[in-house]
Amino acid sequence: MLIFGGRLLQRAVNGAMALTQVSSNKCCDGYQKVFEHDSSELKCKMKFAIYLPPKAESSKCPVLYWLSGLTCTEQNFITKAGSQQAASEHGIIVVAPDTSPRGCNIEGEEESWDFGTGAGFYVNATQEPWKTNYRMYSYVTEELPRLINSNFPADPEKMSISGHSMGGHGALICALKNPGKYKSVSAFAPICNPIQCAWGQKAFSGYLGADKSTWELYDATVLAESYSGPELDILIDQGRDDQFLSSSQLLPDNLIAACSKKKIPVVFRLQQGYDHSYYFIFSFINDHIKHHAKYLNA
Amino acid sequence: MDAYEVRGRLDVIEEEEAADEDAFVMVQDSPDVFCGDCGVLTVRGAAAHVSHALVTLAAGAQQMKDQLSKSRSKLSEKIIEMENFASNLEEIFITVEENFGRQEQNLEQHYNEVLQTLSQRNEARAAALDEQKNDKLERLYGQLLRCGQTLDASKELIESAQEVHRRRDKRAFLQAVMPIMKRVEQFAREEVDLKLGASLDFDVPTTDLSDVRQMMESINVLPAPSAPVMNPQIANSATETSLHVCWSLFSDDTVEFYELYWRLISDDCTMETPQEVCQLKVKETHCTVSDLLPNAQYELWVTATNTTGISPASERAVYMTVPSPPVIKARQCVSSLDAALIRWDSGNTNPVESYTLEFQEASADGESTATESIVAIPSCECLVQLQSWKRYIIHIRAVNIGGPSDRSPPLHISTTGTFFHLLEDTAHPSLSLSADGLTMFYLDEDLPISHMTFSDNTFNRCVAVLGDLVPIRGQYYWEMEVDESAEFRVGVAYEDTQRNSYLGGNNTSWCMRHILTPSRHKYEFLHNGWTPDIRITVQPLRIGVFLDYGRGILSFYNAALRQHLYTFSCQFLHYVHPCFALDNPGALTLCTGLTAPPYVAQP
Repeated sequence: MLIFGGRLLQRAVNGAMALTQVSSNKCCDGYQKVFEHDSSELKCKMKFAIYLPPKAESSKCPVLYWLSGLTCTEQNFITKAGSQQAASEHGIIVVAPDTSPRGCNIEGEEESWDFGTGAGFYVNATQEPWKTNYRMYSYVTEELPRLINSNFPADPEKMSISGHSMGGHGALICALKNPGKYKSVSAFAPICNPIQCAWGQKAFSGYLGADKSTWELYDATVLAESYSGPELDILIDQGRDDQFLSSSQLLPDNLIAACSKKKIPVVFRLQQGYDHSYYFIFSFINDHIKHHAKYLNA
Repeated sequence: MDAYEVRGRLDVIEEEEAADEDAFVMVQDSPDVFCGDCGVLTVRGAAAHVSHALVTLAAGAQQMKDQLSKSRSKLSEKIIEMENFASNLEEIFITVEENFGRQEQNLEQHYNEVLQTLSQRNEARAAALDEQKNDKLERLYGQLLRCGQTLDASKELIESAQEVHRRRDKRAFLQAVMPIMKRVEQFAREEVDLKLGASLDFDVPTTDLSDVRQMMESINVLPAPSAPVMNPQIANSATETSLHVCWSLFSDDTVEFYELYWRLISDDCTMETPQEVCQLKVKETHCTVSDLLPNAQYELWVTATNTTGISPASERAVYMTVPSPPVIKARQCVSSLDAALIRWDSGNTNPVESYTLEFQEASADGESTATESIVAIPSCECLVQLQSWKRYIIHIRAVNIGGPSDRSPPLHISTTGTFFHLLEDTAHPSLSLSADGLTMFYLDEDLPISHMTFSDNTFNRCVAVLGDLVPIRGQYYWEMEVDESAEFRVGVAYEDTQRNSYLGGNNTSWCMRHILTPSRHKYEFLHNGWTPDIRITVQPLRIGVFLDYGRGILSFYNAALRQHLYTFSCQFLHYVHPCFALDNPGALTLCTGLTAPPYVAQP
């Protein structure tokens, strides 16, 4: 990484997009790293994890963005999901940001595990006191890719997105709201129809206010019903024994119905015996990376 | 002078040469040059050799050595020539000995025959003469006997007459005289046959010695030839309709011409009546017989004729014409990226010995490429390994002892994808196939069972059919087009999958199933009756199936969207066959020969 070390130095001089390496571990012949930077969207220091496959030493690689779920940081995915092996084999860079701004000292941000810290819901908040910092949508779709493309051997034309639970919701809406930006999208136990479930209603009313029409801008099922753009290929895995499925937080049937109507290609797999945990993600992460590789390496 | 003597003399020359060299050195006083012209050692500046070619002793020695070896090699060549001539002479000596020996034998035999015949005639004549003699003697003897008897009777009569004459008694005399006188007169009246009973001449029958004369004459004439010998059939000399026949004459007999006879002994079709014999007059010891039947055995024999006569017939040889070329059954051939299974019809009614498969790459610019062959194929099918991404031309030949047939019409194969056809004899009777064998229809659900003919090989519950595939553990890809409303099952199954069960319902088949419910499309991926729970939002109308034995996977794709639907992981224990079924009336079209798209074949 000496080449990029040089660039880092230059950035440090410029000041704006300085990256500091927090950790680096060799893994599957590549490197699992964590960096910290000052985010302009979120107005705080943010960490993100990045896996660089062996291929990155000699050429540009496509990038898969992974959005984690409620209560997660950039650590959960890289330590529990076991994605490095497949990423290494397929030559894909995997970037896993944090799930919300941190250390902003906003009142109420630590009150609930499903709202505030660790629960950014990948929206750009319009309500106080969240609207200054809670801009995860722009962070994920604009600032982070710019950062990655400038500092790492990333192919800027080849991006895909995936995530779990709230992150699954994030991945779906990013793809549906940005036709053509992502080559493929997949999700594990996503929140498919947030305006209809308790989580979504709580988060949206807090971040976006009472006007439900603003909520629809961040709802995958609603966005699917009005999607028009290049063809998507969506892979969704859902554990059948997922407690949040049975408690109607996830509502995949609604998304499936909308996609069937709009002829958006989805393969939805209900996996018997699996729950909402990272064990579930670990079990099927290879299939997802292979799904993305098909389009990223084409 | 024989070889050994010559060699002996060369050795002597060598020794002498060596001795002479020494002699040369000793005789002169410090000679330092050699005169090439005179061939002697001399001193530089010597008057006698002023204008001659003078060379150093070393060079001179070399020159003379070269000359000597040239002469020696000339002599060696001569020796070789003579040796060859000698061995040639030996051969000729033996041949002449043989030939003359034969002539002697011939002559002896001839004369023996003549002598035999003569002595036979002699005996015959003698016997005839003897008979004649006996006959005459018998007759004469008979006559003699009769004469003797007559004489005795006459004498007796005279004696009794005299006795009566001498009697004194006149009365007794007159009593006895009348009967005696009567008897005497009677006797005197009898004529005496004084002719000879047999002639004294001998009947000389003319002996027929003409054949002896003939034999004597023929001694000086050429014998009729001895029987020729038929050569066995030369490999690759026959065609479908002709045979090249050769024979030899193992004697020095003069022959004017040969007559070759042949007869069909077994044909492509069995015949009951023996065939007629054909013949041909030929001057050489070989000929080509035409207008024959293919894959047939002919019996051939030959006689040699010269002015004396015809030789006995040779032993009969059997020749065989080559078979007719086979016909490749294109519809039943299957191929993949790296192999092809070719099937053909024999082209001959009777069996042939084996088949040869020839294949070569089809080159774009018409250049001929190397042909590879697989020989000794015992049956009418063959699996051939090929290279990927090429086009091949395949021919088959049938082979019997007469040689190989002409090439069959070609079959073009592309190793760019999986080509196969449906096994029609596995199809459920309700499933009909299009003419090109690639589309299947399930037309009438209410066809009564009695109207359907089942066999052990047909599916009898599931309206299904199997496909064929190259029996090699490689990678295969094919696609199917289905109607929107078609409820189908597509996938793979072992060849012996239960014909009375439904595809996917047992552990010998794996398939993707589409069910149409009033509210939605339902998809199952069935094996052993179990399916994962999978929802698919866009109905696949063009389904790609990818089979990889090596990785043990069977994958299904929405080929129109390049969307992966599901992958079975299973180590196939045997070869599997593509399988297709329609659960309700509808149609399904098979697309073969496609190259697996890159997103499919990648691991």
